[in-house]
Amino acid sequence: MIEIRNVSKWYGKFQVLTDCSSKVEKGEVVVVCGPSGSGKSTLIKCVNGLEPFLEGEILVNGTQVGDPKTDLPKLRSSVGMVFQHFELFPHMTVIENLTVGQVKVLGRTKEEARRKGADLLDRVGLKEFAGKHPGQLSGGQQQRVAIGRALAMDPICMLFDEPTSALDPEMIGEVLSVMQDLAREGMTMMVVTHEMGFARNVAHRVIFMDNGRIVEDTTKQEFFGTPRSERAQLFLSRILRH
Amino acid sequence: MNYHWNWGIYLEQIKGGGETYLSWLMTGLGWTVSVSLCSWAIALVLGFLIGTLRTAPSRRVARLCTAYVELFRNIPLLVQMFLWFFVVPEFLPHGLSMWVKQEMPAKEFLTASACLGLFTSARIAEQVRAGIQSLPAGQRHAGLAMGFTLPQTYRYVLLPLAFRIILPPLTSEFMNVFKNSSVAFAIGVLELTFQARQMQEDSEQGIETYLAVTLLYFICAFIANRGMSWIEKRTRIPGCIAAET
Repeated sequence: MIEIRNVSKWYGKFQVLTDCSSKVEKGEVVVVCGPSGSGKSTLIKCVNGLEPFLEGEILVNGTQVGDPKTDLPKLRSSVGMVFQHFELFPHMTVIENLTVGQVKVLGRTKEEARRKGADLLDRVGLKEFAGKHPGQLSGGQQQRVAIGRALAMDPICMLFDEPTSALDPEMIGEVLSVMQDLAREGMTMMVVTHEMGFARNVAHRVIFMDNGRIVEDTTKQEFFGTPRSERAQLFLSRILRH
Repeated sequence: MNYHWNWGIYLEQIKGGGETYLSWLMTGLGWTVSVSLCSWAIALVLGFLIGTLRTAPSRRVARLCTAYVELFRNIPLLVQMFLWFFVVPEFLPHGLSMWVKQEMPAKEFLTASACLGLFTSARIAEQVRAGIQSLPAGQRHAGLAMGFTLPQTYRYVLLPLAFRIILPPLTSEFMNVFKNSSVAFAIGVLELTFQARQMQEDSEQGIETYLAVTLLYFICAFIANRGMSWIEKRTRIPGCIAAET
């Protein structure tokens, strides 16, 4: 579904990604973890072309992301993305957030979009908030709406960029549980997160990054059992201690 | 002070015309409002266009728009009025030049509106650019990630937000348009300031004249201000702290 081949990226002279390669198969849940500044967020934003990359190639469902001839808006509409800071459109109501893309991008009728939006709101447990504005919701609720908004486009895969990092601890659970349901239903997911519990529960594979490189790319069992790299061992020992 | 007050002056008949001074002032007010609203329409359209393009990915377009803003911001409005009225027509192709100088209807009005509109558009463009650039990059990303094209991202996400952010400075700009329109008298638009000078010379009641004009300008700017406040209230986003203050 997602193929990343030898991707490198620079900000000026500073290399943020070095020769990154990996693969996410259909129905697979891959967790990307690593210390801050290791390039995880940059890598996931390369997948739907929000960040350009200089070298290498990324294929999503067989389409070249880096090719200037690619219809990026079309490609992006089929890839759902959830952001660290939710990024709901604050001037629209919750239901409008879920319908605007369906209507303007996919060309669905307003009624169709509304029905779909309402179903998804129900699914993330926020049906009664349809008429509210994002600013009136808690962080956890906003992130659940954001997941609903991404799902409304019927994506073939979902990208999560630290979806729980900006949340109060007691709200992390509600967002993770929505994501877990999604994973169990067979959604293809690439998730940048520090939530090792989530990785343990639902991930199939774990990618560990450090200094812009993919240091480990292995099954969950192996990663939590005996990570090969020292850096990953150190990382795990630090975050699992708490 | 040896001044002969005459508060009835406004309603006095003007020698040989059958008009009152009040009707002069009202004509002036009419032209002031017309020039102002016309300029405002031009300024809004061009200002939003140029301001938006200044944040667009094409460096060349952005630079061109920056040059536009600098050009109109760095020359005094009064000089711009004269430039548009006396200089620009000379540089037009011959036929057009003759037409503009001799036949163009409402020449003074159109020139003044265009001049004030362009001048104000440069200022609005600057505010629009600042408004868009003050938005978190995540909003742009969220729009694009949803599958919006860049113009759609601007249309549905960035510009509606930027508009709300810049409403307060936009309000001042709208009030400025009314006040700046007084410069149009210099090229012979029969607006409020022009009429005031005429009335002062004709009636020799300078104080009453300019007090009345002051009041009329004040009312214009005040209404503009209230109107914008109303829009501000209407577009306020529920749950946003920034919009509630």
